[in-house]
Amino acid sequence: MDIDYIIRISGPMLEGARTTVLLFLIVIVLSIPLGMVVTLMAKSTLKPLAWIAHAYIYVMRGTPLLLQLFFFCFGLPQIPVIGEYLVMDRFVAASLGFILNYGAYFAEIFRGGLLSIDKGQHEAAKVLGLSRWQTLRKVILAQMFRVALPAVANESITLVKDTALLYAVAVPELLNFAKTAVNRDFTVTPFVVAGVIYLLMTLVLTLFFKLLEKRFKFE
Amino acid sequence: MSSMIEVRQLKKDFGSLSVLNQISFDVKPGEVVAVIGPSGSGKSTMLRSLVHLEEVTGGSISICGKALVEDGRYASTANIRDITSRMGMVFQHFNLFPHLSVRDNLELAPRTLKRESVQQITAKSRELLSKVGLSDKADVYPSTLSGGQKQRVAIARAMMLSPDILLFDEPTSALDPELTGEVLRVIRQLAEENMTMMIVTHEMSFARDVADRVFFMDNGDIAESGTPEEIFGSPKLERTRAFLMRE
Repeated sequence: MDIDYIIRISGPMLEGARTTVLLFLIVIVLSIPLGMVVTLMAKSTLKPLAWIAHAYIYVMRGTPLLLQLFFFCFGLPQIPVIGEYLVMDRFVAASLGFILNYGAYFAEIFRGGLLSIDKGQHEAAKVLGLSRWQTLRKVILAQMFRVALPAVANESITLVKDTALLYAVAVPELLNFAKTAVNRDFTVTPFVVAGVIYLLMTLVLTLFFKLLEKRFKFE
Repeated sequence: MSSMIEVRQLKKDFGSLSVLNQISFDVKPGEVVAVIGPSGSGKSTMLRSLVHLEEVTGGSISICGKALVEDGRYASTANIRDITSRMGMVFQHFNLFPHLSVRDNLELAPRTLKRESVQQITAKSRELLSKVGLSDKADVYPSTLSGGQKQRVAIARAMMLSPDILLFDEPTSALDPELTGEVLRVIRQLAEENMTMMIVTHEMSFARDVADRVFFMDNGDIAESGTPEEIFGSPKLERTRAFLMRE
């Protein structure tokens, strides 16, 4: 591996990493609130709402992410009649698939967080005169996020790596650039460079979540 | 003045099991009532019914003259909240909010309900923390406190909304024996200040000492009630005597 070559390919690869980071940010920012809403729906006393939430979680967790991406990128336009209105930019379609998939996983993580909260917390809040909504906002959610934090960190790191699935729907991103360079230059170096860039991204995330966990230790 | 708490023919069933069996009693202003009895006798259920943590099957509960439930029919949600907010409750397992500092545990409810100004609320939390002897713990999280300290914080928190009545559900049962004293001292002080209280407890000597009246509950009934002298000195019922011998 010579340094000049690494520097030369690093430019375009970092360009590809921008797509990776962009997808990551879009998915995290939208799927966490989505997961939150789905968790609350799953806990709802309105049965149809809970049923929809459970069905959604089941479908999204029970099928491969790659299949879902294919479905949104290549499947939707094939639907008779309405298909032609469902042709999206492939990056947008893939983002949608990622958001819906990760939303389901986050919903399950948050549900676990909710289960861990003692019913005494609800009782104390109720006796203090808080409404159910106030209790949820001021007492339950903060504790739920704290409990869910390690699992959220884990899921986020998985997401960084899953962005490589964009390769399969031909959206140019980090891995795509690496693969192109490998084919063109007959060297394995681009794969190593890509690996290092992924490691750097997950390192940043790991440190960020460590910081959050420390900040919210409640000690 | 009439009764602070008025309970008539209170009934609570879990399926076919009758937990509270047509209980009736009154608690007068400033009165301290200790509730004793074996586990499963319905003490906690009775206390929790008063603040609507348990829904009863039948009977009536009035708090300060307002009907929480009348012949098994509950008031509206808004009225229920209004009526139960006149009572503070202290739980066996403290139920402090672990994600909030001690001060914020006290101030969360008053700040959310906005019945008083922020200055009034902070002044009150400072005063109550000093009253329970925990002024230096205002900024720490509950996880760093001992059980006795946690329960004193819980009492201060229950006092923040200036309740007319305080309910204690086995306030010392989860504590190491050497930590019960500090909690009982705070409760005793409240009794001296004429706070109306109902205390479910296993601390017989404390009940004898601090209560104006003692209820002995057994099998979902108030089997016997009277002054501490009557209940502990010369209980009328054989089962009261048997229970007191065991304790």
